[in-house]
Amino acid sequence: MKRLLPFIVSIVLVALVVAFIYWPVEKIDYNTQVKPIFNKKCITCHGGVKQKAGFSLLFQEEALGKTESGKPAIVPGNPNESELIRRLLLDDPEERMPYKHEALSEEEIDILTKWIEQGAEWGEHWAYIPVKEEAVPAIKNDWVKNDIDPFILAKLSDQKLNPSAAADKPTLLRRVSLDLTGLPPDEKIATKFLNDNSEKAYENLVDDLMASPHYGERWTALWMDVARYADTRGYEADRSRTIWKYRDWLIHAFNQDKPYDEFLMEQMAGDLMPNPDDDKYIATAFHRNTMTNDEGGTQNEEFRTAAVLDRVNTTWSALMGTSFNCVQCHSHPYDPFKHDEYYKFVAFFNNTRDEDTQSEFPLLRQYKGADSVKLIQLKDWLATNVNQEKSDQYYTFLKTWQPTINSLQCDEFNNGALISSWYAGLRKDGSCRLPNVSLDNTNQLMFSYTSNFNGGTWSIYIDSLTGPLLKTVSLSKTEGHRENWRIVTTDIPPVSGRHNLYFKYTNPTLKTFDETGALFEWFQFGEKFPGQGKPGFDVAKKNFMELMDAEVQTTPILFENNKELFRTTHVFERGNWLVKGNVVTPEVPGVMNPMDAKAPKNRLGLAMWMVDKKNPLVSRTMVNRLWEQLFGQGLAETLEDLGTQGIPPTHKELLDHLSWKFMNDFDWSIKKLLKEMAMSATYRQNSKTNDELQKIDPLNKFYARGPRIRLSAEQLRDQALAVSNSLSGKMYGKSVMPFQPEGIWRSPYNGDKWVMSQGEDQNRRALYTYWKRTAPYPTMITFDGGAREVCVTRRIRTNTPLQALTSLNDSTYFVMARNFAFKMQELDNKDVNNQIRKGYEHMMFKPITETKLNALVELYTKSLGTFTKNEKATIDIIGTKDTSPKPETAALVVVASAMLNLDEWVNKN
Amino acid sequence: MTQKELHNQRLLKEAEYKTLQHQTRRHFLKESAMGLGALALGSFFYSCDSKSSGMANTFFDATNPLAPKPPMFPGKAKSVIYIHMAGAPSQLELFSYKPELAKLDGLDCPPSLLEGKKFAFIRGVPKMLGPQAKFSQHGKSGLWLSENLPHLSTVVDDMAILNAVTTDQFNHAPAQLLMHTGTARLGRPSMGSWVTYGLGSENKNLPGFVVLTSGGNNPDAGKSVWGSGFLPSVYQGVQCRSEGDPVLFIKDPPGMDRDIRKASIDAINKINKEEYEEYKDPETLSRIAQYEMAYKMQISVPEVMNINDEPAYIHEMYGTKPGEANFANNVLLARKLVEKGVRFVQLFDWGWDTHGDSAGNAVDIGLINKCRKVDRPITALILDLKQRGLLDETLVIWGSEFGRTPMLENREGKKMPFKGRDHHAEAYSMWMAGGGIKGGTSHGETDEIGYSAVSGKVDAFDIQATILNQLGFDHEKFTYESQGRAFRLTDVSGKIIQNIIS
Repeated sequence: MKRLLPFIVSIVLVALVVAFIYWPVEKIDYNTQVKPIFNKKCITCHGGVKQKAGFSLLFQEEALGKTESGKPAIVPGNPNESELIRRLLLDDPEERMPYKHEALSEEEIDILTKWIEQGAEWGEHWAYIPVKEEAVPAIKNDWVKNDIDPFILAKLSDQKLNPSAAADKPTLLRRVSLDLTGLPPDEKIATKFLNDNSEKAYENLVDDLMASPHYGERWTALWMDVARYADTRGYEADRSRTIWKYRDWLIHAFNQDKPYDEFLMEQMAGDLMPNPDDDKYIATAFHRNTMTNDEGGTQNEEFRTAAVLDRVNTTWSALMGTSFNCVQCHSHPYDPFKHDEYYKFVAFFNNTRDEDTQSEFPLLRQYKGADSVKLIQLKDWLATNVNQEKSDQYYTFLKTWQPTINSLQCDEFNNGALISSWYAGLRKDGSCRLPNVSLDNTNQLMFSYTSNFNGGTWSIYIDSLTGPLLKTVSLSKTEGHRENWRIVTTDIPPVSGRHNLYFKYTNPTLKTFDETGALFEWFQFGEKFPGQGKPGFDVAKKNFMELMDAEVQTTPILFENNKELFRTTHVFERGNWLVKGNVVTPEVPGVMNPMDAKAPKNRLGLAMWMVDKKNPLVSRTMVNRLWEQLFGQGLAETLEDLGTQGIPPTHKELLDHLSWKFMNDFDWSIKKLLKEMAMSATYRQNSKTNDELQKIDPLNKFYARGPRIRLSAEQLRDQALAVSNSLSGKMYGKSVMPFQPEGIWRSPYNGDKWVMSQGEDQNRRALYTYWKRTAPYPTMITFDGGAREVCVTRRIRTNTPLQALTSLNDSTYFVMARNFAFKMQELDNKDVNNQIRKGYEHMMFKPITETKLNALVELYTKSLGTFTKNEKATIDIIGTKDTSPKPETAALVVVASAMLNLDEWVNKN
Repeated sequence: MTQKELHNQRLLKEAEYKTLQHQTRRHFLKESAMGLGALALGSFFYSCDSKSSGMANTFFDATNPLAPKPPMFPGKAKSVIYIHMAGAPSQLELFSYKPELAKLDGLDCPPSLLEGKKFAFIRGVPKMLGPQAKFSQHGKSGLWLSENLPHLSTVVDDMAILNAVTTDQFNHAPAQLLMHTGTARLGRPSMGSWVTYGLGSENKNLPGFVVLTSGGNNPDAGKSVWGSGFLPSVYQGVQCRSEGDPVLFIKDPPGMDRDIRKASIDAINKINKEEYEEYKDPETLSRIAQYEMAYKMQISVPEVMNINDEPAYIHEMYGTKPGEANFANNVLLARKLVEKGVRFVQLFDWGWDTHGDSAGNAVDIGLINKCRKVDRPITALILDLKQRGLLDETLVIWGSEFGRTPMLENREGKKMPFKGRDHHAEAYSMWMAGGGIKGGTSHGETDEIGYSAVSGKVDAFDIQATILNQLGFDHEKFTYESQGRAFRLTDVSGKIIQNIIS
């Protein structure tokens, strides 16, 4: 035995050594194990905002690079040499990290040690890695309807949960209809589905709903939040803005199922696409929904800048699920974006013509009737008699008045001022400067001005008030449409190069020095109308000037600066627009897919980059958003942030699977994507839960049941209008003003009034309601709409008594209840039990239970008792529509109002 | 028991409450499911997954978002009345005594004050404008106040005046946003929303954050100054109105009497209860509770908003006139509201933008008229809160978005018809009282002409930090997670103004 011992020992030793070498060592994953520790415990002091001791854990090169001490804190492969590990283990509170905070747990230290030991491999956060095709889990189960379901089932079985059976037909009918069209199904669609017992009944229903024009309205309502659509400009005066054509563009786009890549491209850069038509321009109004500040004394450049930054922030948070706005002031505290990368991105947006002007230039000018014919004729004439290039150039100019120089660029005023900070105004002998004007290849000045006086003279000097005279122009009194603005041309002699132009205004008829003699709107230093000597020149030129001044319908759009008006972009130190740092040029952040080398470095190139299939964020963000609309929460809950601080997706593989499919199999078709979701067994489940399931999964993150979610403000209004037979089917057009209590609008320096719309415009769908930013329609806000000052990336649902008060007492809702009572009387003219039964079926597509019926009949009986004794109350309740008010009708109105407040009614189930 | 002991006892009770709440939530849930009458204290399921991000929006309970909650530490104040004079009153005619400025009256403004500066309306070289009011010292503390505020002068020993408030915004809307939401841009929650989010509401029959406006217009920045930003909308200010319904849709439709309304709600809730039995959705329980609360609010809101029944001496004291829409009535309402447990009452009075473009906007005419309308009610508020033992626990703040220039405004380079001052961001005055504020103190000084702050400079963030501190919140730790990061009211700044805290 003694002789055997060494042998056994050596066997054991060998075994141990072999085991040590071949024992499967757990590989530490940077993203799921290391990065969360860094983010939670370290990055506040060693990240994008602060880099204490010269050490940051944000980027690989920073984490592995030398710190202030001259040595790196992390030595890959060698935890013992790594200062990072040493500091975690110390006892001295002055030295031990995290400084003055709770020490890391043993488990956490162990993870970091092993990670360094294994080579400190860096990893990128999932959301910044391009989407890959994700295989469907191989699960065979009768419940499965399409590829979504195996992903859901896999997670459910991890949790030892089972999916629910499909909801009954009526419930499903109402759910999918509200989801896809924002309305309950109309009778035809409902009857067809409920009587269709074929396999394809449900699919047919989904197809029918998607073919309905109401589909486009429903999804437009969502996109209006994303686009921060409003009918006013925001800030103090919050004046009106005419931009509803963009809303109509959205409805068309959704109804035509414009592929999402085109949908985005046109909104981001429609103006830069070849030969943009009106629709492409109108699409760019997406980024003209930024606010402008009309308050007197504001710096236009400050608010122009604010609008540009808002475009950047919206592009990221709404379209690419990233809180990029953090990077405005410093490198992102948690995500791999550097401070200057923010401004490189700003550079894509910094060269649009808008300058916080009161007129909201640039505007798309849409001509009416004969003028639009004239425009085509002029375009053709130029193409025939001059050339295509000129024809295009003049066409664009007539459509946009661009490029022109806004008079608010004037400075160095002397007895003159930027009147209300918008327009250069000169008084008697007043002067000002228009800086940095390119005069190369110019022989004509076109300008827009207004004056109350005849006899004015405007002299333009080059480089100083005592410099060479460029031109003297007589300015007479202006009258006419467009608030007396007049467009005038005058020849100018050839001058080359860039110059500061000095304006001087004299007028002997002005009696005082305080009256404004002339007010300028814009200037264009360009060329004379071409084609002199060609047949029809005089008519063409005349038509051109008439079209410049024609009555048009306008919509704010994006329009890019030409090279004369080009702005350089700077980094703003600490995000302060007044402290300008290095000059930057357009570029996308390094962590993302690179731009195509052939793509232009402008908004168009940017849009192409966004819809590149390698862009990791665009498809994921949209898939996540649409999922949220149907299921009540995103696959990643934080729609606005898929970054490391966002809540990680519950079903990342499914998110990627759908994102891949969206781009490839579905070719960016939103309808196909929505259909895929709606057709899944996951979506079709009934929404019943129980105590056990509530305990395990209160928020339904694993989808063991169907969605049960309170309807949006828009859906609530629309379905009540629909069920009470009052919904107007009218689509498109100017925003409308349904009933709103007195005293909601009170903007200073703004005489605008809420003027109730007439006739069917009272009963339009919610998305057509006029949206005033500083005083939004109260019901929308009560039911969780945002003010849309900035983009609303996600609405947080609340449940408040103010909501109850609204749907019980708002006269809009009460009128709907009244109409619903009339509808119930139509459905059965005698028996109240039947009226309520049929009314309920009209709402819910299924029979009412006895308890519910009894509760409502009891309410009816009690009300009837009161109204029988009180004729005035009866009349008040019924209103003036019914000429022979009966207590029975009044009691039924009370019942109808109660029905329109039921939990099952305000929820989709 | 003294007021102080009572106060401490309430704080202790609140601290216990949180623990209790955690222990008994499930019980409550069960209880409400069966009993239904009780307030549904709802679920403890937060809307955000706290584990993943390390930061939870801990004060948000989706099914009972307004339940009263204890602060981070026992605060001195339980409620806030914030009185904002929209348009920016002139500190030089009210709180900032500048005899030297009088000597410069009518002289050209020295270039050193204009170099590199931008003004909203002043162009070129304006004239200096001496103080348009007489100043004298008041109270034991001997604080300087102008003759425009004769009533307020009697309570200076309860006030702490901040004489060197600065901002970096000189336009109304952005400056108001900065003061109330911590940023000059739109989209962040207002102070009242933060406070209601943190503390909930003491009165379950009234909103936790009430806004009252006077002066004919809403403040320049509109409803955003009481908006909830990224906080759940339940925390936005509820504007109570002096005309029409005091709260929108609080009144039953014509013809609907209370019995039928009650019967309606009973029927709705009975059916909803059946719905709950079938689906077990806790939101349904919450909805049942909200309908009951709505019914109660229909009584309690008009009641608290009715000042008719206040005794004559109160009307005399405040200068209130029932039935009118005016500032004095709003001040009295503010007192009634905090007395009933409303957490944050925000008053805006419009019409203080004294540019000198009209008599109503002149610092020697319109300003005096405006002062007459606010001086008495504000003084009455302090005295009334005091006599009710509420001043200790009610923080009163008076202020605006910025101040006014020591120069005479010359809009667009022209002489104005009346004496006016332009917007001034570099130094102005505000004051606080009650809620643990040291009365009779003055903090901060400006130079001899009131142009720049020379010591004790404070900004919006410092004021916000101080308000939160008085309520029991560490402004650096009181955060809400949105768009992937924790937001604070005070953003990345804010120092508590220790000098004015007792």
